[in-house]
Amino acid sequence: MSSWLDYTINGLIVGNVYALVAVGLALIFGVSRLINFAQGSIYLVGAYIGWVAVVQLHTPLPLTIIVVAVAAALVGLIIERFGLRPLQNSVRIAPLLATIGISFVLDQLVMLTFSPNPRALPSQLPDVRFQIGGGTIGPLDLLIAGVGITSALLLFVFLRYSKLGWAIRATAQDRDAAMQMGVDVNRVNQAVFGIAAALGGVSGLLVGMYYNQIDTAMSLQATLKGVVAEVVGGAGNVPGAVIGSLLLGLVESYGVAVFGTSYRNLFAFLLLVVVLVLRPNGLFASARQAPPEPLTGTFIAPSRPVRIPRWALLVATGIFAVLPLLPVSFYVLQTLINAWLLGMLALSLTLVAGTIGQVSLGHAALLAIGAYTSALLSLTFSVPVGLAIIGGGLMSAALGTALISPSFRLRGHYVSIATLAIGEIVSLVILNWESVTRGPIGISGIPPLSLAGYELVSPISIYWFSFIVMVVLALLQGRLLGSHLGRSFRAIRDDDIAARAYGLSLNRYKSLAFIFGGFAAGVSGGIAAHLYSYINHETFNTQQSILALTVVILGGLGNVVGAIVGAVALVGLPEVFRIAAEYRILIYGIVLLLLVRFRPQGLLGTM
Amino acid sequence: MTNSPPDALLALTNVNTFYGQAQVHFDLSISVPRGHIVCLLGGNASGKSTTMKIILGLVKPRSGDVTFDGASLLGLSTPQIVRRGIASVPEARRLFADMSVRENILMGAFVRNDREAIAQDLDKMLTLFPKLGQRLSQRAGSLSGGEQQMVAMARALMSRPRMIVMDEPTMGLSPLYVDRVLELIRTINQEGVSVFMVEQNASLALEIAHEAYVLQTGKIVLSGSARALKDDPRIRDAYLGGSEAA
Ligand SMILES: Nc1ncnc2c1ncn2[C@@H]1O[C@H](COP(=O)(O)OP(=O)(O)OP(=O)(O)O)[C@@H](O)[C@H]1O
Ligand SMILES: [Mg+2]
Repeated sequence: MSSWLDYTINGLIVGNVYALVAVGLALIFGVSRLINFAQGSIYLVGAYIGWVAVVQLHTPLPLTIIVVAVAAALVGLIIERFGLRPLQNSVRIAPLLATIGISFVLDQLVMLTFSPNPRALPSQLPDVRFQIGGGTIGPLDLLIAGVGITSALLLFVFLRYSKLGWAIRATAQDRDAAMQMGVDVNRVNQAVFGIAAALGGVSGLLVGMYYNQIDTAMSLQATLKGVVAEVVGGAGNVPGAVIGSLLLGLVESYGVAVFGTSYRNLFAFLLLVVVLVLRPNGLFASARQAPPEPLTGTFIAPSRPVRIPRWALLVATGIFAVLPLLPVSFYVLQTLINAWLLGMLALSLTLVAGTIGQVSLGHAALLAIGAYTSALLSLTFSVPVGLAIIGGGLMSAALGTALISPSFRLRGHYVSIATLAIGEIVSLVILNWESVTRGPIGISGIPPLSLAGYELVSPISIYWFSFIVMVVLALLQGRLLGSHLGRSFRAIRDDDIAARAYGLSLNRYKSLAFIFGGFAAGVSGGIAAHLYSYINHETFNTQQSILALTVVILGGLGNVVGAIVGAVALVGLPEVFRIAAEYRILIYGIVLLLLVRFRPQGLLGTM
Repeated sequence: MTNSPPDALLALTNVNTFYGQAQVHFDLSISVPRGHIVCLLGGNASGKSTTMKIILGLVKPRSGDVTFDGASLLGLSTPQIVRRGIASVPEARRLFADMSVRENILMGAFVRNDREAIAQDLDKMLTLFPKLGQRLSQRAGSLSGGEQQMVAMARALMSRPRMIVMDEPTMGLSPLYVDRVLELIRTINQEGVSVFMVEQNASLALEIAHEAYVLQTGKIVLSGSARALKDDPRIRDAYLGGSEAA
């Protein structure tokens, strides 16, 4: 029904929208070498401010755009001033984590203010379409193209001819040298965040009008798409970000034309992974551009871990082991079961992110692989549940490692982006591979946990089962860290160039870490599948990946006991204080922000 | 409080600097008299560049004081220090590689707002560094090392500084360019700009300096007028010791 020309127009329009997000990301990355994971949240805020302006205040379109740009810019300035500037002298991972925390907080605030239900955002433009060639184009398309082109021109003139623009370019190329010319880097950061936020906010407004719908899920999608476009164009490269965005828009649009709508995002993330693996500096990078930042060493706050005497660990383990025999409520057991499952995931992540320095933002994918494998093994092939869970762990270890291995040569932020993308890809493959995964319907009727033929249905037995599995995994991991292998892991984290010089094969060690970590996460996912009895492609999502990361940072990166303490704290405390479910994500975001700011080494210290 | 001579434009007094646990300067005291060229000599890793960073406020000392024209610089940020009248030619030039030569030179005038005078100064730079005239619109990153050094010096002069600090300005240059750079430093100085330069090449630096200090693993082991130090055999010893310790 639609012509190729239509798909091309659609691709370019969507590309324009992405460009508004990606240009901001590129400006920020250029100046402060930071991927701003809060960019999508500003876009979300822009969309909702636009909704308020249009639907409640009935502002005319030009005024709406100005209101959104100004309000979003203010949000950007606040983020820079209070969220990021205090972190200037902290380790490199701190601002990245802070932007993740900020995005959680902003998204939740929007959700709490406006409810998660989608809203219509009318465009106020006449609903006509003009014929051009074999396709059609409407006034909104022209508006989006106009805003995109005008912004690009303004930005070009600003960077080229204004003093502040020069300062931004100089800072992007050499921060120290720019300071020595008298450039106030704080002002540059401020300017860049303000501009990025204004563009991002307007982008959110335009997208909302384009689809005549806004909802809170837009945020993460926008961040992801912006990051894809930016990396494709070369991180920090502003014109590259525009071209990367248009390319992404076209790839998606043609992909949808050929395979259908549910493939849209799959193409975006595949494009990202291909670019990251083949040309991590972007499609247009020349040799002179800085290579991916060498920031493993100072990426994670060094600290002296808190020493916990062995007897204290034994006593704590004993108490939790006998807890079900005491008169505790069903509800406490339930909560702790969740904590043990999250603890297994955290063990996995603390090994991968903390011990070997690969900060994964897509760890929930390992849960998903384990859960689907275990569920399908037991349902389709009638494998006993205990074995099926182990199968889930093995599959997660193998598949997870295989998926991440092309990205082993990346470092720092790029690892995070790659893992985020792989996480999304796994969830999209589950969605689209209907013959195996049953697609969007999900898998129901998964048999309950059982061990040697006995079904574990009582909360007590499930509690013990998950607790024991977690303790065994923790003991194994503790063993691993104390061994020669553990020392090699840390050597790679602290200085991968030196580690390579000593003859350590980085790929092999990274693989080993992901195999072990993948197994633990897969087992956690497998157990969860049999507990929930129903899973689908959204059961294990990015929110859980970030929750796991928060747990791990709370406990102290690399710290085995810390991972478990962190899981108990983050699962337990909201229950203790009876915090309503919709406020929890908000709390997690705030916890992450406070940790990064005041205790980056976590409760028990990094190891 | 300070025991530097009253005519010192820049004075470091008992500065102790640390990178984490590692101490880089031990009670470092240096003074640069108004209108002089002062040279800091020392082997690799002796702490020379760190001294530059201390002056520019890029690194803050744990104790001691840094004063410029009598006022302490310790509480100031790098841009504020630059506005006080200190310009720098950093180690390895550090040009803005993707900006044009013209933009690089004009970046030096970032702290100024007098457009016309800036334009005049740009012309002046082109008479001082005639070779740069044809290169103005070229990418700075595409220049040769010697040409980059010229741009870096022109850039520093554009702020009309009272003092320039230079980190190894002759490093990696061909002999012809080395002479040219030294000559220029002397010219700049004769126009009234005080110079503090860090060098590894003692014999060259002592040609143009008024005073010199020798730094060895963070301690001043020798200092005095350049003339006296030129023939001092201890310079060689200090050096060899310095590089052995590194
Ligand atoms: N940012 C830093 N963090 C930690 N240590 C540093 C840092 N910068 C320098 N150092 C260490 O401080 C010491 C002095 O360094 P500095 O750069 O001042 O020496 P230098 O005399 O300029 O040497 P070179 O002749 O090689 O330029 C060296 O041992 C160096 O490794
Ligand atoms: Mg040096």
